[in-house]
Amino acid sequence: MINIHQVIKRVPEFFQGNARTIFPISFNAKVHPDIFSTQERSMRKKLVWFSVFLFFLGDFSPAVSAHAEDLFSRGRQIAKAGNGMPGNTACMECHRLKGGGMPSIGAPRISGQTIQYIEREITEVQKGARYGPVMAGVVQNLSPRDILAVATYYSKVRSPKLRDTETLSPKRVRLGKQIAHQGLWKKNIPACVVCHGPNGYGVPPLFPYIAGQNRTYLMRQLIAYAFLERKDDPQGLMRGIARRLSPQERKSVAEYFSSLDPPYTGSR
Amino acid sequence: MLGKTVKGVLWWACLSALVFCDSPGAGVASAGEAIFSPPSEQSIPGGSLGDLVRKGEEIFTNTKKYAGHYVGNDLTCESCHLNRGRKAYAAPLWGAYGIYPRYRLKNHKVNSLAERMQGCFRFSMNGTAPAVDSPTVKALVAYSYWMSRGAPVGVKLPGAGMLHLTPPSRSPDPFSGKKVYEARCALCHGLHGQGRMSRGETAFPPVWGGKSFNKGAGFYNVGKLAGFIKMNMPLSKGDSLSDQDAWDVAAYVDSQPRPEKPAVK
Repeated sequence: MINIHQVIKRVPEFFQGNARTIFPISFNAKVHPDIFSTQERSMRKKLVWFSVFLFFLGDFSPAVSAHAEDLFSRGRQIAKAGNGMPGNTACMECHRLKGGGMPSIGAPRISGQTIQYIEREITEVQKGARYGPVMAGVVQNLSPRDILAVATYYSKVRSPKLRDTETLSPKRVRLGKQIAHQGLWKKNIPACVVCHGPNGYGVPPLFPYIAGQNRTYLMRQLIAYAFLERKDDPQGLMRGIARRLSPQERKSVAEYFSSLDPPYTGSR
Repeated sequence: MLGKTVKGVLWWACLSALVFCDSPGAGVASAGEAIFSPPSEQSIPGGSLGDLVRKGEEIFTNTKKYAGHYVGNDLTCESCHLNRGRKAYAAPLWGAYGIYPRYRLKNHKVNSLAERMQGCFRFSMNGTAPAVDSPTVKALVAYSYWMSRGAPVGVKLPGAGMLHLTPPSRSPDPFSGKKVYEARCALCHGLHGQGRMSRGETAFPPVWGGKSFNKGAGFYNVGKLAGFIKMNMPLSKGDSLSDQDAWDVAAYVDSQPRPEKPAVK
C-alpha cells in the first residue's frame, strides 16, 4: 500500500525543484526580481497542477495556506517586537503596525506594497545598494525568511492615509500634477504614471505605488536617487530621471503624489 | 603617494563625468538639426475646434475608453506615438500631418491622413477601421492638425517617423536579442511580452501575443521597430542600446507569435 506522506514528500522532486517551488512565487525568496514573471508563470502552472494533484489525494490545501498564515504571523511578530537579533527593532516603531508609516519623520507608508517589492528593498538595503542609515542597522540581522515574513505581513495589512505634517503649496501641486501625468519630455522624463501606474497606484510586482506616500519620504528618495545614494533601481532608471529634475520639480512631484489618496486603504 | 593622488583625481573625474555629463538621451536627434516643437497644451483654442482637439487627445491617450469599438488589443495610440504624439523619432503627429496625402506602397494608392489612421486601427491596434468621416477619425485629425501648426508642409522634418537605422554589420539575431530583451525590456514588458497591468488597466503595453499589434503593423518591420527601440527604449534611457542590440531585440520581438495580418478588404 502506498504511504500518502511519502507521495507528498516526493512531489517536489517530481517538479524538479525544492519544496518552495510548488508554493506561489511570492514565497520564494531566492528568485532575482528582474526575472520574475517567467518564474511566476511557470510556478502558477505548477501550482495549478499541484492543486489538481491534491484534489485527487483528498483536500490537503490547508497545508499550503497554513504556510502563508505562518509567514503572516511571523511577520506580524517581527513588525511588533523585532526578531530578537541585535539591532533589530520593531518595524512598527516607524512604519506602524498597519504600515501607515510616519509622515513626520519621512518613514514610508508600506501597507499594500507588493511582497516582492518590500522583500527586494529590504534585501537591497542589506546589500548596501539602497542607502538607509536607519534601516541598514535594523534589517542587518533579518534572515531571508524573516524578510519574506515581514514583506508578506505588510503587503496584507491595510492602513488609512496618515496626515502629513507639512502644508502643501497649491502651485507646486499643480506643477507636480503636470509632470506626473505628462512628463517633462524636454529633459526626456516620461510621465510618472507611465511606470508607477495610473494615478500612481503602482504596477506589480516591482513598480511601487507612490500615491498617498508621504512628502518627506518621496522628496528624500528623489534626492537619494539624484545624488547616487540610492542605487537599487533597475537599470538606473530612477537615478537618471531624478538627476534631471530640478530641486523645485522634485519638490512639486513629491507634493503632488503625497496629496493623492493611496490605494489599499481597506481593512484587514 | 603620487599614485594615490592620481587615483584620487581620476576618481573625481569619473564621478563628475557621471554627475554632470548625463546626456538626456537625445544624442542622435541633436546632431545639428532643429527639432520642431509642437504648440503647448495651453494653446489649444477655445470653442468647438478646441473641443474637437481635446477629444482627439483623449482618444489618443485612452484609446480603449474613447474608441474601444475599433480597438482589438491592449495598445493605445500613445503606446507607439510617445508623449501624446509629440516625441521626435516616435512617429510624432506633427511630422505626419504635413506629408499627407502621400503615396504608400503598402496599399498602392495615395492615402489621406484619415486613411493612414485607418491603417493604424486595423494593424497596430488589431481592430477595425473607423470610417473616414467617423467622429473618432475627425477628432484625431483635428488633434494632428492643431499639433502641426507652424510646421512646414510637404517635407520630411527631422524627427518625423522613426529613426532610419543603418543595417547592422551582423544580420539581426533573435537569439542575442532575447538576452538583451531579458536584461533591458522584460522589467516592464514582461518575459513573455505580455506587458503589465495595474489594477485592471494596462500599464505597460504587451509587445507580442494576442493583445499586441498584428503582422500588418509597421512594427512588424524589424527595421522600423529597431529604429523606435534605439531612440526611445528603455523609456527615459533612449539611445542607450547599441545599434546592433536594437536590431537584435527588434528581430527577437518580431519573431514571437502575434495575430495574423487581416485579409485585404
